[in-house]
Amino acid sequence: MRPHEETISVGGIDVHAWIGGQGDPLLVLHGAGGNRGWTRWVQQVSEHFTVWAPTHPGFGRSGDADWMEGIDDLARFYLWFIDAAGLGRPHVLGHSIGGWTAAEMAAMSPPSIGRLVLVAPVGLKPETGEILDVFYYPPPQLLDLTVHDPKTIPEWDELFGRKPTPPELEIATRNREMAARLTWKPYMHNPRLARFLPRVTNPTLIVWGREDRIVPVECGEQYRRLLPHATLTVREKCGHLPPIEQPDAFARLVLDFLPAPLPAAPGHARS
Amino acid sequence: MKLYYFSEMPHHEFPDEEGEKYPSLRLELPNRFFSPQKAAANYQRYLTEYEFADQAGFDGLMINEHHSTPSCVNVGVNMTAAILARTTKRGKLLLLGNILPIEDNPVRTAEQIAMADLISGGRVLSGFVRGIGIETWWANTNPVHNRERFEECHDLILKCWTEPGPFRWEGRHYHFRHVNPWCLPLQKPHPPIWIPGSASPETAVWAGRRGYTYVPFLVPFDIARELFDFYRQGAAEAGRAVTADNLGFLICAVTADTKAKAVEAGRHFVWRMGPTLRGPAEYFAPVGMRSRAGAQFALKTRPRSLAQMSYEELLAGHFIIAGTPDEVAERFAYVQRELGVGHLLLEAQESRMDHPTTMRSIELMGAKVIPALATV
Repeated sequence: MRPHEETISVGGIDVHAWIGGQGDPLLVLHGAGGNRGWTRWVQQVSEHFTVWAPTHPGFGRSGDADWMEGIDDLARFYLWFIDAAGLGRPHVLGHSIGGWTAAEMAAMSPPSIGRLVLVAPVGLKPETGEILDVFYYPPPQLLDLTVHDPKTIPEWDELFGRKPTPPELEIATRNREMAARLTWKPYMHNPRLARFLPRVTNPTLIVWGREDRIVPVECGEQYRRLLPHATLTVREKCGHLPPIEQPDAFARLVLDFLPAPLPAAPGHARS
Repeated sequence: MKLYYFSEMPHHEFPDEEGEKYPSLRLELPNRFFSPQKAAANYQRYLTEYEFADQAGFDGLMINEHHSTPSCVNVGVNMTAAILARTTKRGKLLLLGNILPIEDNPVRTAEQIAMADLISGGRVLSGFVRGIGIETWWANTNPVHNRERFEECHDLILKCWTEPGPFRWEGRHYHFRHVNPWCLPLQKPHPPIWIPGSASPETAVWAGRRGYTYVPFLVPFDIARELFDFYRQGAAEAGRAVTADNLGFLICAVTADTKAKAVEAGRHFVWRMGPTLRGPAEYFAPVGMRSRAGAQFALKTRPRSLAQMSYEELLAGHFIIAGTPDEVAERFAYVQRELGVGHLLLEAQESRMDHPTTMRSIELMGAKVIPALATV
């Protein structure tokens, strides 16, 4: 399926989504920066999985969700999305607040999802460090803190290299507002999540950047300890955006972790 | 036109070069620069000045509240109101005001304002403010909820004052199962409500609908007129007439025996226009705190920020008025003619303006300026 955009109505909210690829469904949940669309790593993974990359309610071109109060609301909403979109039992990959959302979904309903990929997720309070207060910094300064080295990022120019247009600025503001709505207090974590993570029996891959200045790597260790079937991979010379900073290596990690699709027999639809 | 005396109770007793090392004096200047000894003396001094302003003939004493900043160490508007309620006799106590969005218990706020009103013999003017972003960080209240919480907190306070308890409150942000305050205002149906503004058209319309006294702070005259138009629009929607008593304006002002002395003293106000407002936009207006309309209007409000203006420009724009009693009386009358306001709030002490200078200014205002304005 060629990548295309759709609007899917769930619970009265029109959810904008990128959809494309082939194979079992993989639900991709973006971080606080918003849905970056069909980027390089998504293209590579979509050669083996059907990627569903919705834009969170309140973000980008999705409808408003002023009633939402926290990431647990978003997680419950995406469990509904899975039903509404007919995804069956998708694998779920989430980055940052999307990773937190994925972890909450798995803790709420392990049988609803297949495998779990958590990329630098927030959601747990670090034991010693702190999650950077992303709302305290002007966006350009925050971007500097988010990545390790712009020079190594293949899609830098395309994603960050030009001045945003007024509509793009409007969307960026909207994204920040919704992120604030969902994560302001307790800041970027759910004090009760750790109690529920041991329920998550789904095989889980955790990916982190060694130089992540937004969410300390120790949070990855916490997730690994609390999730019964999790491995942690820490990428060197990488900040908070492994899928963007190291797209090829990231796509390979994901493809190595997710179960290889069965070869489709002629005349048989793969279940 | 009524005159009000106001001091932010600054704590400007640290080396300025230390302050410049931090992105902002608010939130970031470490409180190791706070001196309990100096602050203890300052509070006595500032309260004395307020009491003297009451004796000198000011119509009211304005008090405000900020947090995590040396520009204002009045950290409890209701605490100060309670003190002045006992130590002053005449003037109104203008609380401008309680920062509603960061309040977690509006019932307590309603009780505290009521208590100040009772102690003062019904002299409280109860201002409600949304606060600047600094207070949102200080209280860690979600800025996205700022306006919703302001309005809901206001509604609950008003209900506490005007409807018999016990009753239940189950709102979006506030939940109380047993509301029955045993402390109600002396003034009926409740103390007059004042609302400040500098940027949000919505706030002006909202205040106009309710007939509250509306006071722009330190904005150019044309912006004040535009905000007053929004106020009138709200008032018209509710079928309310707008009089001068509904409108106020805040400026900085000082007088002295000579023009030279007054102009010298007035320089202290530059600190509050520049250094104390320095810092990232995220500190002062965190994401979601302002509506799109408010954000756009804010840009228009100060095409050049106060911080960018020279002292001379601040004087020319009437952000600061400094002169002999005759001169400031003439300027105040000019402000009244230009804006049609019934209340002029004077930020009358700032930064390192010393006690004798402040007291002399108060004395001259009482002896010469206030009488001169009696018919304005």
